[in-house]
Amino acid sequence: MKMSRRELLASTLAAGTLASAGFGEAQAQATPKKGGTLVATWGGFEPQALFVPAGGGSSPYFTSTKVLERLLKLDNKLVFQPVLALEVTPAADFRSYTIKLRPDVKWHDGRDFTADDVVFNALEYWKPISSGGALAGLTSAEAVDKLTVKFSFKDPTPEFFLKSVLAGKAGLVIPKHVYEGSNIITNPANNALVGTGPYKVKQWVRGSHVELARNEAYWAPGLPYLDQLVIRWWRDPASRSAALEAGQLDIGVFNPIPAPDLKRLEATKRFAVTTDGYLSSAWISTIEFNSRRPVVSRPEVRQALLHAIDRDFIADTIFFGRAKPSIGFIPASNPLFSNPKAPQYPFDPKKAGKLLDAAGFPVKGGSRFKVNLVAAGWFEENVKLGQYVKQALEDVDVTVDLAIPDRATSLKRIYSDYEYDIAISNNSGAIELIPGWTNFVTTSGIVKGAAFRNANGYSNPTLDGIVSNLTTEVDEKKRAGLAHEFVRIAATDLPITGLVDIQSVTIARSDVRNHSNLADYLGESWSDVWLDR
Amino acid sequence: MAAASASPGLDFLRRFARNKAALVGLFVILSVIGLAIFASQLYPRPPLRIVGRPELWPFANPRHLLGTDSLGRDIAAMIVHGTRTTLLIGIFASLTATLIGVTVGASSAYFGGWLDETLMRVTELFQTVPNIIFILTIVSILGPDIWHITLAVGLVTWTPIARLTRAEFLTLRDREFVQACRSMGMSDLRIILGEILPNALPPVIVLSSLVIASAILFESAISFLGLGDPNIASWGGLIGDGRTLIRSSWYICAVPGLAIMATVLALNLIGDGLNDALNPNLRDRS
Repeated sequence: MKMSRRELLASTLAAGTLASAGFGEAQAQATPKKGGTLVATWGGFEPQALFVPAGGGSSPYFTSTKVLERLLKLDNKLVFQPVLALEVTPAADFRSYTIKLRPDVKWHDGRDFTADDVVFNALEYWKPISSGGALAGLTSAEAVDKLTVKFSFKDPTPEFFLKSVLAGKAGLVIPKHVYEGSNIITNPANNALVGTGPYKVKQWVRGSHVELARNEAYWAPGLPYLDQLVIRWWRDPASRSAALEAGQLDIGVFNPIPAPDLKRLEATKRFAVTTDGYLSSAWISTIEFNSRRPVVSRPEVRQALLHAIDRDFIADTIFFGRAKPSIGFIPASNPLFSNPKAPQYPFDPKKAGKLLDAAGFPVKGGSRFKVNLVAAGWFEENVKLGQYVKQALEDVDVTVDLAIPDRATSLKRIYSDYEYDIAISNNSGAIELIPGWTNFVTTSGIVKGAAFRNANGYSNPTLDGIVSNLTTEVDEKKRAGLAHEFVRIAATDLPITGLVDIQSVTIARSDVRNHSNLADYLGESWSDVWLDR
Repeated sequence: MAAASASPGLDFLRRFARNKAALVGLFVILSVIGLAIFASQLYPRPPLRIVGRPELWPFANPRHLLGTDSLGRDIAAMIVHGTRTTLLIGIFASLTATLIGVTVGASSAYFGGWLDETLMRVTELFQTVPNIIFILTIVSILGPDIWHITLAVGLVTWTPIARLTRAEFLTLRDREFVQACRSMGMSDLRIILGEILPNALPPVIVLSSLVIASAILFESAISFLGLGDPNIASWGGLIGDGRTLIRSSWYICAVPGLAIMATVLALNLIGDGLNDALNPNLRDRS
């Protein structure tokens, strides 16, 4: 019974992939139409500001990237493509990089975009504010001529790593003439953005939507296709799906509607559902064991407890098939750095029991030991996940006290107070492992109060050494080898590991064309999306 | 006293039974209590266990009479075990509220003066804060635990009881029998508890039975918003879990919703019956 359901699911997924591939071809063949207004949303709330220089999460990232651009972008085949930079070339020793910029690019206020802007961004914005230490080794950035910049580094710097920073969340290019001499983080321009992007901010109606108008002077001829892009926010997944059906919403990225509604809306043929566009912003559900607590600090206990958890059930039932069992801490969708050969812990409660017996925790009075399980309450799925994991552990005679606090309390309990034995949380990140993914397990990742960092207290000099080599190894093959070793150690000691890789979903009306074509589509400029109306 | 009745207790029952709707309410509540008592016999396994295929419709499988929720847990088992949560919160929150309300109301009416002023301003303060927001604040500070929820519900529902008790006390405190007690040198506490309270209590009891109903609704709202105690089965929590499936598997919300509706309605009917039975003005109405 169970098997057949899973097979059915696999075949529907496969059919979905085929369908979306066919859809992509149709997209490429059709001639884009100009004009129209696209109403877009994402599976979250209104941002605190249109642009939050120090990060601020997905919501300001979604709005700011339509106005501000980066030097590079990463496509669905994991190839970096030019945006404001035409090429980024390393020197032979990888201690310096030469960046050729695109000519004839103008800021929205009419000023020229030049090498001085990039130098300003590198030294005053990216390195100290946005990159979270990833550019700590950058020693100088200088303008060679009006359209050429040279970056110099203390140590050899891997090409994929640097390009990931430039194409990533930290690499938005802000205008020097607006921000110079001011506090970037609090500059009022953050809500009245001046960028180089395909859309200009027209007006932000707080509590409702932001209107972005076509940039007539955009550097790419003929783009953008749309006259207007409206980003509107709804507070509730069910109301987003009602808005789609009512024709008030054209496209929603990052799981905008309840999973059970996806199938229903897709069946009407008026909507297309795709999982493309999330390669470099993969989300996973994680389970984390607190190294400060004696019982769960032992790797053999962690391994045993993982054997008690049925990841297929989590993927099929809790996520309605919109997830896959994780193969470790790094999502399986990461083709460069995930390691399928790392130790796996398949569902086997009997084995879990035996391993716990062997670890010195036999059943006494109906229970082996008691744990506090905290499931971060920011996703609906985490609520069910917490309830399921509680039952799964109780099935191997571990007593579980479950708490599912709200967002603020969850952040505090897990990342500030370290007040848990086992935590269920989420992690998302780019293809590049440094610093986002590595911060969860390195000693330097332990920063009390910093969310989505090492909250488990794990500290292993060997692993720290590998991560430090990862930051300076310039040979891509050797780098992948180091990453695989990193994943293997994490999968053995298990300070934190993935339960399921979440499949993020975009749903759009069928007449929205040419979307989801880059590795982190939520954070791209959307200059080439068009409406077939 | 009516000479015709054999005893005050029988008289009370006769008058309560005169209200047929109240009898229906009583029957429903007794069934709920019965389910709560025999929950472990009816469904011996922990109610939050995953037992079958998820989203199984009611009556589709005789083993899971009311179907299963989105995780595959038996809705009937959760409803039956949920009666315990519901009654526990209802009764204890009502007790808390009655205790606070009667204490505040009685002392402010009996002693009057600055104490009356202070206590009534405090009561108004509590009355002006929106109940549900106040409860959510308390629960998010103390943490989602069944006893914290009970305490929070008790803390917001005592104000009408305090006002009612005060009004009753005000009409009674200057009657002759109270003055007689005073002149006999009885202590204040004894007058309040022994003399005035028994006479002021009937309407308060009616109100308390209604507080049970609103406590049940508050607990459901909190669980619906995901702030309930995740370690126990609760009707509101079940509705909250089923919310995202409302378009396809609406029964997950509907079944516990009906249970809550029936229970709250029954408590209101009982409240009406109690009012008829305890109200002396209706005593000789046939």
